[in-house]
Amino acid sequence: MSSGGPPRKRNFKIEAFKNRVDLDPKYAERTWKVLEHAIHEIYNRNASGLSFEELYRSAYNMVLHKYGEKLYDGLQSTMTWRLKEISKSIEAAQGGLFLEELNAKWMDHNKALQMIRDILMYMDRTYVPTSHRTPVHELGLNLWRDHIIHSPMIHSRLVNTLLDLIKRERMGEVINRGLMRSITKMLMDLGPAVYQDDFEKPFLDVSARFYSVESQEFIVCCDCGNYLKKAERRLNEEMERVSHYLDAGSEAKITSVVEKEMIANHMHRLVHMENSGLVNMLVDDQYKDLGRMYSLFRRVPDGLSTIRDVMTSYLRETGKQLVIDPESLKDPVEFVQRLLNEKDKHDKIISVAFGNDKTFQNALNSSFEYFLNLNSRSPEFISLYVDDKLRKGLKGATEEDVEVILDKVMMLFRYLQEKDVFEKYYKQHLAKRLLSSKTVSDDAERSMIVKLKTECGYQFTSKLEGMFTDMKTSQDTMQDFYAKKSEELGDGPTLDVHILTTGSWPTQPSPPCNLPTEILTVCEKFRAYYLGTHNGRRLTWQTNMGTADIKATFGKGQKHELNVSTYQMCVLMLFNNADGLTYKDIERDTEIPASDLKRCLQSLACVKGKNVLRKEPMSKDISEDDTFYFNDKFTSKLVKVKIGTVVAQKESEPEKQETRQRVEEDRKPQIEAAIVRIMKSRRVLDHNSIVAEVTKQLQARFLPNPVVIKKRIESLIEREFLERDKVDRKLYRYLA
Amino acid sequence: MYKLGRGNRDKVQQFMTITGASEKVALQALKASDWHLEGAFDFFYSQPQVSVVNTRHLEDIFNRYKEPDADMIMVEGISQFCNDLQVDPQDIVMLVISWHMKAATMCEFTRQEFIGGLQSIGVDSIEKFRGKLPSLRAELKDDNKFRDIYNFAFTWAREKGQKSLSLETAIGMWQLLFAERNWPLLDHWCQFLQVRHNKAISRDTWSQLLEFVKTTDPQLSNYDDEGAWPYLIDEFVEYLTENGLVQRKR
Repeated sequence: MSSGGPPRKRNFKIEAFKNRVDLDPKYAERTWKVLEHAIHEIYNRNASGLSFEELYRSAYNMVLHKYGEKLYDGLQSTMTWRLKEISKSIEAAQGGLFLEELNAKWMDHNKALQMIRDILMYMDRTYVPTSHRTPVHELGLNLWRDHIIHSPMIHSRLVNTLLDLIKRERMGEVINRGLMRSITKMLMDLGPAVYQDDFEKPFLDVSARFYSVESQEFIVCCDCGNYLKKAERRLNEEMERVSHYLDAGSEAKITSVVEKEMIANHMHRLVHMENSGLVNMLVDDQYKDLGRMYSLFRRVPDGLSTIRDVMTSYLRETGKQLVIDPESLKDPVEFVQRLLNEKDKHDKIISVAFGNDKTFQNALNSSFEYFLNLNSRSPEFISLYVDDKLRKGLKGATEEDVEVILDKVMMLFRYLQEKDVFEKYYKQHLAKRLLSSKTVSDDAERSMIVKLKTECGYQFTSKLEGMFTDMKTSQDTMQDFYAKKSEELGDGPTLDVHILTTGSWPTQPSPPCNLPTEILTVCEKFRAYYLGTHNGRRLTWQTNMGTADIKATFGKGQKHELNVSTYQMCVLMLFNNADGLTYKDIERDTEIPASDLKRCLQSLACVKGKNVLRKEPMSKDISEDDTFYFNDKFTSKLVKVKIGTVVAQKESEPEKQETRQRVEEDRKPQIEAAIVRIMKSRRVLDHNSIVAEVTKQLQARFLPNPVVIKKRIESLIEREFLERDKVDRKLYRYLA
Repeated sequence: MYKLGRGNRDKVQQFMTITGASEKVALQALKASDWHLEGAFDFFYSQPQVSVVNTRHLEDIFNRYKEPDADMIMVEGISQFCNDLQVDPQDIVMLVISWHMKAATMCEFTRQEFIGGLQSIGVDSIEKFRGKLPSLRAELKDDNKFRDIYNFAFTWAREKGQKSLSLETAIGMWQLLFAERNWPLLDHWCQFLQVRHNKAISRDTWSQLLEFVKTTDPQLSNYDDEGAWPYLIDEFVEYLTENGLVQRKR
């Protein structure tokens, strides 16, 4: 039998090499037939009978002998024919078997393609690049795309089947996820564009409609919290779906759809939902719902700003009610405590539910600053709150507790726009605490001073520190006084003097009253002592700020120790020598100013349980026609009776106006000093720049009023510190 | 002399009437300004006075009016001076004369002030002085001179030792000065001051009011709230707006 090779020459003989460019066409045709048959056998899953060695060689020879084009075109037409056959069998698949059939055929195709590519590897390496044809494997994928996936009969059915399965899964059905994964992977293998155009886009479109409808249903039947739970679950489901059987690149797109349809489109309705919206969540501290809203809204444009705006509106309104409510204005301590509670509440919401988001913290801060300054009494009330804590609220508290409370107060203080008003009141209240020895601890007092200094600088607290220095110095002075003068003083009343530096203390001119002789004697001794050791000093008694302890014996011999103000002492001592005294008598003998006298008599005669005096006629108020008597019938369970408490009280309206007037007066020299400082360094500056610069320099203490700045400028012009530029009237020049 | 056209002849006549200058001077000024009346005024006023005055006569004039026991002219002397000039003491031209004399205080002229003034005005007799009155009055029409005279008035009318001008005096001066300028808001301004301010007027407010009058239209449409106006003027604008006296448009 004849072999297939060329005829063998019997006698070996070396000849020159010749290009064999004219292979027999019949041979090529036969060779192709062999290969074509093999391809069919591969698709028929009968590859085991084939010799890859021979097939490879055949393909090699065809390419080598310039029949590459024939080989390539033959391959393409053969695969096309096969795929059309495959297409028919897929189309014939019934119902649920469609995807399975498609997937099975795809796997077969891939296996076949692998083998075919191996056989035709030489063509892929040589003929394909030079002829710019598509490589074999890619060709196979493209043909599958064009004749299977894009087949009219298969394409729409494929997309609809996939989407239907997804829909069912969304409805709670269990579907074949593995199969889904295989199909989507197939689409990706065919090229990202195939996946995107033939599946992802319709998937996103259908999903948008699905969630649009569902969200409409949810929004009607769910409250806000439940709606958000559902939206969150849907988001999680979609992310899970992607991880199970979609391409990872789809996650951002599908979550974006859910975000838009379920969150963005209903954002405002959700936050304002009656009885369950954002405000309700804030009111009821619903951290989980708030946290969920935060994390969901963060995913959409303007989501967080929507929450922030509603929260801000709510905070401002709530805070405004707090600071305006006449009821809450009655008790300053309660007023401030409510504000601190409100701050704590929202700090917790921001940290627990809003991830300590800085923009929310800023919104909270600006809201507090807004409403706290709506009430011009806030500075006074904060000072009164501190006063309450430092008098008794912090008694027995640990150092740490003290710091926590003071730090919270400082947070409110920071919001004040009129810190100088606070300083004015704080000084008054501190003075009373120090002079009445009503401080829980010096350390707590100093801690507060340190915080204020840190916040506003040394100048703000220098006078306050001066007050502490005075207290210490006074203590030393009194010790020295009694050490040196004990023999002279004998058995007289004990004196405790506080030397108050003028300017540091919020003193008011105190008209001299007539002190009892016993007191006057020891006072004069102290004066002589003090002026003897301090040359050039001048002493003025501030009797309106003093206190006294008096022992008293009443009708049935009961003894009490009375703690009273200095004025009250002056009044009571008169009754050692008289049983009854008219108001006029008392006024004449004590020379206490009428308003003070009335207040002090009211404490002595009209307060149940503390009425050591009796008055006729009996009434709640003091009149100048009253007569007063020692109250023999006075009784008390306590040995020590405290009368006329000096606890700081909320100012009456006229007092408040007076304090505010003094604050305004204090601001003028500060504004002028700022103007002079600025002009001294700039020499020439325009009006608006001066206003801006002065405001910047002073706003740590208060917000200067531009009109006041203008007036101060005019005053400086009048006093020839400044002049207007001759040419530009808006320009000022500094006159050295 | 060449023959003048009728228009130019009218201009010469007008110039002579306003300034009190001679025809020769009028012709010179008008020619120099190419026959523009306003330019002629500028030319005329910018020329230094070249007339020579007899110092002896100035001394005589001063001595005629001075106080018997003081070396200055006071109320009585001024009254007599006005009589001789045939001028009402309240006439604004007296303010102009005081400005020329650099008088430190109203109703007082020191020897130096009076004689120096006569020299700068360029007269050495009452007759010549009377002849000068029209040109002195005309100086109020010059914006720069008006401003100088206006600002001079503040110091001149002020009480000795005071930094501000009393409200009553200020109002009187404003009525006198703005009669020359027809400021439509003058009456409102005076009424506002009496109703709302009722205090003395600072120099800055005084001088800035003139700027306000010159730069702000009576409808306040170009008033600049941030224009560094004295606070009193801000309040005046608010007063006008609040009371519907001016319908402000922005």
